[in-house]
Amino acid sequence: MPKRLVSLNTLSGAVVTFAAIPLIFVVYNSLLLPTEKWFVFWSGRLPELLWNTLSLATVVSIGSLLLAIPSAWFIARRQFPGRSIATWLMVLPLAIPTYVFAHIYTALLEDDGWLGQIWIGIFGEHAIIPEPYGFGGAASVLSMASFSYVFLMARVSLSRSSQTLEEAARIQGASSWEVLTRITLPLLRPAIAAGLAVVVLHVLSDFGAVSMLRFQTFTLSIYLQMSGRFDFQGAAGLSFILVILSLTFLILERFFRKRQRYYAGSQTRAVRIKQASPRETLAIWAWIGVIALFSFLLPLAWMVAWSWEAWVDKLIGSEFLTYSRNSITVAFIAGCLAVVLALPVALYHTRKRSMLSNAYLQLSSVGFVLPGPVVALGIMTFVITLLPGVYTMGGISMLVMALVIRFLPLSVQSQESSLQQLTPSIEQAGRVLGAGPFENLWRVTLPMIRTGLTTAFVLVFIDALKELPATLLLRPTGFDTLPVRIWIEASEEMLELAAPAALMLVAGTLPALWIMMRNEKSNY
Amino acid sequence: MKHVIFLGLLFSILIPPFTANAADELIVYSGRSDKFIKPVIKVFTEQTGIKVILHSAKSTALINKLRLESKHTKADLFISNDAGNLQIGSDQNLFMAMPDKTTAIIPDNLRAADNTWVGLSARARVLVVNTNAKNIDFVDSVFDLANPKLKDRLGITNSTNESYIAGTTVYMLAAGRSATKDWLTGMKSNVGSSVFNKHSKIVKAVAQGKKDVGLVNHYYIYRHLAKHPNAPIRIVLPDQKDDQIGIAWNVAGIAISKYTTHKENAIKLVEFLVSQTGQKLFAETNREYPTRPNIASAPEVPPASSFKVAKVPMYELGKKRNATIDLIEEAGMP
Repeated sequence: MPKRLVSLNTLSGAVVTFAAIPLIFVVYNSLLLPTEKWFVFWSGRLPELLWNTLSLATVVSIGSLLLAIPSAWFIARRQFPGRSIATWLMVLPLAIPTYVFAHIYTALLEDDGWLGQIWIGIFGEHAIIPEPYGFGGAASVLSMASFSYVFLMARVSLSRSSQTLEEAARIQGASSWEVLTRITLPLLRPAIAAGLAVVVLHVLSDFGAVSMLRFQTFTLSIYLQMSGRFDFQGAAGLSFILVILSLTFLILERFFRKRQRYYAGSQTRAVRIKQASPRETLAIWAWIGVIALFSFLLPLAWMVAWSWEAWVDKLIGSEFLTYSRNSITVAFIAGCLAVVLALPVALYHTRKRSMLSNAYLQLSSVGFVLPGPVVALGIMTFVITLLPGVYTMGGISMLVMALVIRFLPLSVQSQESSLQQLTPSIEQAGRVLGAGPFENLWRVTLPMIRTGLTTAFVLVFIDALKELPATLLLRPTGFDTLPVRIWIEASEEMLELAAPAALMLVAGTLPALWIMMRNEKSNY
Repeated sequence: MKHVIFLGLLFSILIPPFTANAADELIVYSGRSDKFIKPVIKVFTEQTGIKVILHSAKSTALINKLRLESKHTKADLFISNDAGNLQIGSDQNLFMAMPDKTTAIIPDNLRAADNTWVGLSARARVLVVNTNAKNIDFVDSVFDLANPKLKDRLGITNSTNESYIAGTTVYMLAAGRSATKDWLTGMKSNVGSSVFNKHSKIVKAVAQGKKDVGLVNHYYIYRHLAKHPNAPIRIVLPDQKDDQIGIAWNVAGIAISKYTTHKENAIKLVEFLVSQTGQKLFAETNREYPTRPNIASAPEVPPASSFKVAKVPMYELGKKRNATIDLIEEAGMP
């Protein structure tokens, strides 16, 4: 093995060990779970939980594809008025946490809520307003909250992938439908898979929406086991099953796209964007407008309206600035660290396909699939046992650690998908021209995957900004972040007061999204 | 990009570590809404000069945290809205016993037997009824909520609600396990799978006439009436006849962490909270009942002396929590 791969191997090994800290806690505690309790789980709740969790993940995946792919294609391949606004509208739902989505939709669908009023206006006084609870509500909320991941990855891929192949197909007489199904979509597959993997991981680990909308998935059940009965071992047992489930999914996903690697040549022409006809423009805007209305504009309007009330009632003070600063500081540090730590894992896996590199890749995603409270408890146990000094003096270090571990896979995924599109010959050229491995990395590879790195940072930053369950447990005493404030206000049924913090959260994600968008633009 | 990475690393090094709390500061792990504690704490700080930092989260999460932190904890005190959580903390050996003279003023069924926690304010499980509802007068006990006559007319919360679990524990201990299971099953067939996730929504649904009766904590009714004084709802105090069990009661309370390094100040805070001033402030912000005898509750709520309370000591809410959850799961409550 070349020397460089050896050191990459060690580095990624170290990162993965770090990421696996909560897993060790889970495995240890579930080993303590007596056999008869496993049996009780197996004969009792498990089949239902498995079914609920898997069906939710499947439906949300389908929902995300339906929302994301057409939008990505329109925006990447057609020039129409307001195109950049449309792009923004498809990405902005990322700024709203799932628990805020769930809160807002339950409020909107009450009979004095906006949607409830419209419903009654249309169907009469005694019409039954659809409830957001249960499977349908959870699936809709999660689809709206996470389709942007698929959109982002698909759009990047669509606007960078070479059109030469499509043109060649057209010259050979293929219809545009054939081009779409036989060239464009297959080329999109790695991007779609990467996006969907992120979506599914979000669904498996989501706590906010399922607990608000009362849909019993693994995460909710683990939480109830831990908080209702104070049963760590039972919670760990269920978490262990969830981890196995998620790893199986990730391995299957890898397996199905194993031999699919598409390299984009460095000399491809920029994608030519066709001008949309007025009719097309109308259709595109109708499509994007409806999605944006429900997944962003309506929730935003609700937040603004309630924040305005809070403002008028003089309930907003300077403490909101402190909460925002706390949130942004923590998320920023977590984002930077996650980008740096993901690099060796992504590089190693791209350079060398082996059992080990695959295992590393899967293990690095464990933090994401474990429920937030479990990650938090795992880290607490680890730090208290091995580094009690850090525990007493650590400040935000444990919180940052939890956020990095939870969201590392987002960073690994996006770095890896951008590394995969990098033609090996470019790096080889760098080496031939005499660059050492580090110089090559610094001067050739990293600049080429700059978009991927920025995306990685932004994705981690946004999720870290929204993170609630681990933050609640691990933040230093008296250190309140925006999600913590939202939770505090919403939990005593004072939903209105949660609106200003939610609005600040949206505002906080804007710069991050802007950086990502600008970065992509300069790449065209 | 590299600038960003650099900045980030620099940033993480420069962030000053949070030091342990200063000598005259108390850290309170609080499972009670900030809104209901801050006014009380403010007065305490004004009177004593002792600063208090509130660290809010779910009570259960804070117990788990205290448990894992054990001697490394920075918490000096723990406040919860549920006696069950306080007792579970005591059973996990997380709290220290308070001096008798501090707690003696509070009746002994509203605190831990070993003085490891003390109740500060009480809430009653009551019925809210729509004043225009017909054929509802037969309901004078929570057990009537299982009557098939109430099909689709009843509002209850989902079964993970703390108050709901605590209430069920009281009924289970006062009326027996099988009667309580029948009651749960009856309510389940009355509500189907349509339960509420918030008490305030039950009150609202009753006020709008969508439901005729709901099982809630008393203060939600008055919170609604404060906003909508003409709402057509009234309170029914259940189980008041001689052969009935009385109202289920639950307390919010406070405990001192076993590993506090500020014992004296912590006791001062508890003493303040059980004092006349503290009691009035603590209970009144949320229209709850002060646990100290002879302190008036908010004027709009029925006085505590006017009704009978079920004879179940509050620490049982912790001891029987798992048994209650088992029962609720057996009945398959949504």
